Amino acid sequence: MASIARKNLFEDIPRFLVAQAGIMFAVSLVTIQVGILKGFTRSTALLIDQSTADLWVASKDMVHLELTSPIAAEKVVQAQQVSGVERAEALMIRSSIWRSDSGLITPVRIFGFDPNSRLFAGWDVSQGKLNAVKQPFKVVVDRSSLKNLGQTQIGEQGKIGTLPAQIVGLSQDTQSIVSSLFIFTSLENANAYATAGLNTSVNCTRKTQGNLVCTNNFDNAPLDGKPASLTPPRSLSISDPISYVLIRAKPGQDLQQLKQRLEAALPDTRAYTQAELAEQTQVYWSERTGVGFILSLGATVGFVVGMVIVGQILYSSVADHLREFGTLKAMGASNWVIYSVILEQAMWMAVLGYIPSMAFCLGLGAWTQTAKGIMILITPATAGGVLILTVVMCVGSALFAVQKVTRVDPAIVFKA
Amino acid sequence: MTATQIDLLQSAGSASQANLSIRLERTEVNAIAARGVEMVYQSGTERFQALKNIDLEVKSGDIQLLMGPSGSGKTTLLSILAGILTPTSGSVSLLGEEISKLSSSKLAKFRLENIGFIFQGFNLFPALTALENVEVALNLKGIRRAAAHRQALDLLDQVGLSQQAKRHPQDLSGGQKQRVAIARALAGNPRLIMADEPTAALDSHNGHAVIELLRNLAKEKGRTVLIVTHDPRIIDVADSVAYLEDGVLKSGVRTR
Repeated sequence: MASIARKNLFEDIPRFLVAQAGIMFAVSLVTIQVGILKGFTRSTALLIDQSTADLWVASKDMVHLELTSPIAAEKVVQAQQVSGVERAEALMIRSSIWRSDSGLITPVRIFGFDPNSRLFAGWDVSQGKLNAVKQPFKVVVDRSSLKNLGQTQIGEQGKIGTLPAQIVGLSQDTQSIVSSLFIFTSLENANAYATAGLNTSVNCTRKTQGNLVCTNNFDNAPLDGKPASLTPPRSLSISDPISYVLIRAKPGQDLQQLKQRLEAALPDTRAYTQAELAEQTQVYWSERTGVGFILSLGATVGFVVGMVIVGQILYSSVADHLREFGTLKAMGASNWVIYSVILEQAMWMAVLGYIPSMAFCLGLGAWTQTAKGIMILITPATAGGVLILTVVMCVGSALFAVQKVTRVDPAIVFKA
Repeated sequence: MTATQIDLLQSAGSASQANLSIRLERTEVNAIAARGVEMVYQSGTERFQALKNIDLEVKSGDIQLLMGPSGSGKTTLLSILAGILTPTSGSVSLLGEEISKLSSSKLAKFRLENIGFIFQGFNLFPALTALENVEVALNLKGIRRAAAHRQALDLLDQVGLSQQAKRHPQDLSGGQKQRVAIARALAGNPRLIMADEPTAALDSHNGHAVIELLRNLAKEKGRTVLIVTHDPRIIDVADSVAYLEDGVLKSGVRTR
């Protein structure tokens, strides 16, 4: 049968384009919101996903990757002695402030790791060399962070706290959307940055029973204060605080059993597999903060808006062609024939709205990733899901329009 | 003779048998029979009786006119006789089938197989070409694409529009549109043609052309044609004329 649905759709091209614009808007809104939600969730665990560590040992207080209580570096040595551990190394995460030459300041999160190993940095630098961070006060930053750090290229220098920091490499796809800008460097540099600019003192008081109670005080020195002398960063001592012990298991190890052995050997810690830590971090950001809810809400609003737009378009289209549907009914067409015309029209609208919308969203995602470091993650599953959602949206709207045809008085055909 | 017997005669294929069946239908079988048909519209406490105790018989192969002033109930009666509206009371038989007793789906199937419609407003699908308009009707009757295309071209040729097959309705004159509508009504070879004011929107020349087509349908192809009209020109080709006034069938005139 000549496709009445398709012909009706293309009968009035301006009207069709307006209708498609509405559907494209709705599809794009849903795709972008879902993409941002997934990109945001994924970005919070990018560093975990890209590491090659089998297990991450953290304080039992750990909430997510960047929020954990410090543990002593001696735990690295202790972990190394646990049966089944091939290699253990420290990861230090600290916060500080970056100051560019132009005076721009921005909060940063410093990741200190062993550049000789790839347990933490499973990723490659796209420009420069990762090993260069072994030198004093050299750092790697994510390519998308350069502008926000007030820098333009590799080789430029800023300050972290009161210490210099020269950019010697650029990483890619390592920055979380929701975090401060990431700085990657050696453990020694990270330790130096973490303590630089702090005035330390010890206050001791004698209590009535004769006990001496001492408290360590760390005070921030003014940022514009005179920097400490530039002595090379010292090696980590066993009492220095770190954030994680990264573990590579010996081949063939049962990770769950190794976790138990590590937790038994390292009091007040918990061991996580890569997947467990990634999930805990993603769940924190998507469920314990409002970000996930807001983005989910945006996707839902997009879907509802789409339903309304498509519903209105289809309903008015059916109203415009009511006499034709009445004619089909009078001629003896079954209700299903008429429903199939409306459903086919809805399917055409869905597919023709979906394809350009998805192309637009993929393009937008590529641009935001490159230009802004914001990931709009559109996986094949997302694309497939949005297609199904679009079809459901259009067919669901068509069901409203069908009601109008069901109620049409067939005698309408005899009205001039 | 029953309708089934007539069907058998028609399907026998020879011209003499077909002529015999048509002759027998004309003399012995009513293609349309309405008995005590009443139609009441109720809106809140308002009650309006559109048709009052209508009895009507139309013989097979006849051209039957329904005439009367506006609002007399002609179109309502046509809708009921076509199985589009259900009467408040009374019964309607088409081709020996009591359609009042059919379910809506069976009634739709009956219309599809047996009735061709011609509308005052043409009711063509504006997005489709003349050819596609006829093809749609054939497709609805289960005729597949290639055969439907061939038959649609043939039908358009019969109404003199094969040259305009690829045109859309908006590119056709009123008379041409109505001829496309007639070609569509003839799709699938229905035995009943129901036409509502088929010449009302046409000028004299096109009106006569349409009247001639309708006459041919009955006299040469043996279709029973029921026409609602104000147009006195059609009386000349009618076998019978029924006058309706205020929902009452006032009189029926057998013209031949």
